[in-house]
Amino acid sequence: MNGSYRWLCDLMPGTSLSVDEIVERLALRGAPVESRASLGAGLEDIVVARVESVRKHPDADRLSICQVEAGEGPVQIVCGAPVIHEGAYYPFAGPGVTIPAGFTLERRKIRGEYSNGMLCSEKELDLGRDQSGIMRLEGEFTPGQSLIEVLNLDDHRLDIEVESNRGDLLSHMGIARELASEGIRGVELPPIPDGTVIQAELVTDPDGVEVGGVSIRIEDPDLCYRYLGAVIRGVSIGPSPEWLVNRLRAVGAQPINNVVDATNYVLLEMGQPLHAFDLGELRDSSVVVRRATDGERMTTLDDVERALDADMLMICDASHPIAIGGVMGGSASEVSDSTSDVLLECALFNPKSIRKTRTALGMSTDASYRFERGVDPEGLVPALMRAVEIILATAGGSLDGPVLDVCPRAWERQTVPLRMSRVERILGIPFEVDQVASLLDPLGLVTEKQETGDLVVTVPGFRSYDVTREIDLIEEIARTYGYDAFPEELGAARPSAVPDHPLFQLEDALREDLVALGLLEASNPAFAREGEGDVELVNPVSREEAWLRWDLLPGLMRNVEYNFARGARSVRLFEMGTVFRGAGVDNPPVEETRLAVVLTGLERPPHWEGDDTPVDVWTLKGIVATVLPSACAAGATMAPLEGADRFIAEGTGFTLLSADGETIGRAGRARDGLVDAPAWASPVWCAELTLPAEPESRSAVEYRPIHQHPGVERDLALLLPASVTAASARSTIQRAGGELLTNVRIFDLYRGEGILDGTRSVAYRLYLQAGDRTLTDEEADDVVRRVVQALREELGVEQRV
Amino acid sequence: MGLDNMSNDNPLVIRLTELEAEALAAVAEAGDSEALERVRVTYLGRKDGRISAILRQLGEIDPSDRRAVGAEANRVKETLTGALEVRSAQVSQETDFDVEAADLTMPGRETWAGGAHPVNQVVDEIWQIFRGMGFTRARGPEADTEWYNFEALNTPLDHPAADEQDTLYLKDSVLLRSHTSPVQIRTMEKHDPPIRILAPGMVYRRDTYDATHTPAFAQIEGLVVDEGITFVDFKATLAEFARRFWGADTKIRLRPSFFPFTEPSAEVDVKRLITLKDGSRVESDWIEIMGAGMVDPAVLENVGYDSERYTGFAFGMGPARMALLKYGVPDLRLFFENDIRFLGQFARGVGS
Repeated sequence: MNGSYRWLCDLMPGTSLSVDEIVERLALRGAPVESRASLGAGLEDIVVARVESVRKHPDADRLSICQVEAGEGPVQIVCGAPVIHEGAYYPFAGPGVTIPAGFTLERRKIRGEYSNGMLCSEKELDLGRDQSGIMRLEGEFTPGQSLIEVLNLDDHRLDIEVESNRGDLLSHMGIARELASEGIRGVELPPIPDGTVIQAELVTDPDGVEVGGVSIRIEDPDLCYRYLGAVIRGVSIGPSPEWLVNRLRAVGAQPINNVVDATNYVLLEMGQPLHAFDLGELRDSSVVVRRATDGERMTTLDDVERALDADMLMICDASHPIAIGGVMGGSASEVSDSTSDVLLECALFNPKSIRKTRTALGMSTDASYRFERGVDPEGLVPALMRAVEIILATAGGSLDGPVLDVCPRAWERQTVPLRMSRVERILGIPFEVDQVASLLDPLGLVTEKQETGDLVVTVPGFRSYDVTREIDLIEEIARTYGYDAFPEELGAARPSAVPDHPLFQLEDALREDLVALGLLEASNPAFAREGEGDVELVNPVSREEAWLRWDLLPGLMRNVEYNFARGARSVRLFEMGTVFRGAGVDNPPVEETRLAVVLTGLERPPHWEGDDTPVDVWTLKGIVATVLPSACAAGATMAPLEGADRFIAEGTGFTLLSADGETIGRAGRARDGLVDAPAWASPVWCAELTLPAEPESRSAVEYRPIHQHPGVERDLALLLPASVTAASARSTIQRAGGELLTNVRIFDLYRGEGILDGTRSVAYRLYLQAGDRTLTDEEADDVVRRVVQALREELGVEQRV
Repeated sequence: MGLDNMSNDNPLVIRLTELEAEALAAVAEAGDSEALERVRVTYLGRKDGRISAILRQLGEIDPSDRRAVGAEANRVKETLTGALEVRSAQVSQETDFDVEAADLTMPGRETWAGGAHPVNQVVDEIWQIFRGMGFTRARGPEADTEWYNFEALNTPLDHPAADEQDTLYLKDSVLLRSHTSPVQIRTMEKHDPPIRILAPGMVYRRDTYDATHTPAFAQIEGLVVDEGITFVDFKATLAEFARRFWGADTKIRLRPSFFPFTEPSAEVDVKRLITLKDGSRVESDWIEIMGAGMVDPAVLENVGYDSERYTGFAFGMGPARMALLKYGVPDLRLFFENDIRFLGQFARGVGS
């Protein structure tokens, strides 16, 4: 909410605070100032000038030549304004002065006549929207007087952040109650210039009231708790006086006319929304507060025709809606220049109903914003009488008869018990009961000591929305005592009964592995385009992000493109994140945590000795093989992928399988077209796999004795036909090798001369070792013979000789 | 063993041992391949090699000693051959690497630099601090229900507080969580106190991308519930965290605020000492780093805890925003662009 520094000061006559002190104090009271601005900023050099004479420019129809007095003798200016009054006062910027619109004036010739400055419009001075003409200043001034002084712009506008539970702070009075030294007792309404305080006379009834031909009836007491109407007859609508205009402008509100400005002033000062109807436009001079009927329509003040429904509370005349209760008035009954009789509405609506209505209509107004957050039930009558006072002072007319007061729900203050033991249990330090009373008292919370030593607290209307429970009072104690005043003593604590989630531990381990392998961790939002997911957002920010992703790879592919586009050739990224899949209308989507990897470019950073091997399938396979055992429980494998899939090009990929044979991911070369790659780019290799939702903790390492006796190496070159994989030959070797075979490693692959077409020679190195003795050559030869025989019998594989 | 004793006595075996030592010393001394070849010829040369000569004499010696001497001669020959091979490889490398001409300022072979995402580095740093204070980590789904995201957290949907985070919906009452606070509820539903958890995770809001907003971002929730937890514990724990994260000379300020699921509620501000380029240190403005408060009794009652017996506190912070401040990154969008020139700045290793 926007606040004026001077307005706040006027409301707390016994308190003197600088702007800085207010900013600091509000921060520590829970209503921080988001930004502040000096109202006169940029207008320091603008002065008031009197126009002495006006004549037509001899060479231009639309221009005038004026002699103006700005304190230093008459000067000539050329002015394009359609209307300039001799003897009137205007803001004036002379040569050398920079105006807020952004340019600096200089003496120059316009169509042959010298111009020594300009008279300014509201828009040029950033004071309002009016650019139709230059800004005429009402009243008598001394030429050369500072405009800041004349317009009371030596003020500061504070943008105060008010939390949604503190509707009572949405007014200058509410803020002043927090700031004033003596709390609520330090707050006083400033007198209205030319005003007379009017004591309220009410005619009250729970259902309806009629006074002097004007009637008000509430048909839905659940949605409208109270409705006050004051009839003022004989007003003359016109502009508001300077003091009122200045107040509104100080907080950025636009002045409209004296009656509407009075209601806005009271809203800003006391937080009570009011509405003025042109009484002459109300059929039968009656007001009926009821729900809309489905299909009913009404045009609001902003000239929008609104479709209404039965959940919306309307203010109606004898037959038609005239306002959306607590949200916005209708254009038909709006106060206009010809209005002479006014019905001033001051009401209290159900906050939830207001919220529902304005949400359904897709609008939010100053009134609805305050009603939603709670308007002081005790503040209605004072607010209405203050508005009446301002209208009588600024628009004339007279209050016609007593105020109509329809009040189906009489207000009663609530009490809340407060246990001193509970205060200490929550706040951690002991408080004396008198101390608590003196902390709560300035807030208007009335304490009463009980025989038990505890308190019963009576809550005033303006705090009735957020102070309803004991804990709410405890918060007020802490707030008034000052959070800063609490000690910072770290006490003993019991460790968490919740086990550290194993998936976090797995993610940590994988991140460490992949970082060590030279990959950078990427992060993409979980949103996807159409076709990349099946869970659609109801209210997406954009079409490109209207779905939730099925996979991480599309995001990473776009990251590769992004880096290619910036000239990067080697890109190595991984990401861990959530993917989503729809699970039927009644359920939230199913989520999985995935790990994905993309690699392209050189295997190693380029070196001057020139090792420019690109990343290939073996790089990818090595990385996947490194992380797979930690990513999934032991026993996960990679099987060559038959054909292509959504991401992987044919013949280049793997299916990743868990120990139970379940598919958990894929790896391989990205399909053509998946990445928009420049001609120089090397292929993109990628992998994606699902991490277990609740990983089992890694099984402890089991020590195997280290053999002390020397082992023997034997090399076997095998001729493998196309139908036999290296892995199957290897598993035959392992099985046939038995206990003495401790390791098998493939160390060479040869195709070409001396080898039958379609066959390849794969060289295996067998490590043979016994735990209890030095292996003899004969034993080693035995094992090799067994292996060769098994290869021949099981796979038809021969040794290369 | 008998064999060893016997062979040790044999003068030829002793001679062989001497020759071995002598030859190995000569190998070590040889500085180039020619020198090595001379050593080889001296000891293993077919015609005049000293070890070869002994092997040739085998036929003439006592048959009872022959086997031992032969085995020893062969062992020495093998050892020497191996040593010659190794030394020869060394020598040829030393020759390739021209010590005189070498410019050791030429770059070495690098490996690609790897690095965790900068936001995750901050998450990890925060976790390590809270881990030291007895916290464990908990997680929950990113797509959740209105109940967990709002109502169980004492935020009725018909209250304006529900608007403060513009929520992304998936369908009626199912949404993308707008904060990590639902993890509070899910954890308390499953476990009894003492609860001391940290819940890092992604959250979503209907914001358009700009320098200070992204529609998805990381958040870290914290929750402590036990008997006897007070506002003093709350303030002390967060102040301790802030000083460990931002530096011991950081000032901490708690300001009253409002969150429907905590009461009393607070914003936590820090004022850091910043070192300027010229080495001087200045105080920053107050920077808001987290929202926090004592757990509202209504939240405890919603999960079936006795709110008279248990009290607690909760907090939430944005690691991306903290990373922004910590590293001086000007724009949150950089964290999602995944430009390797950006990510590489947070990597370890040379080839970044």
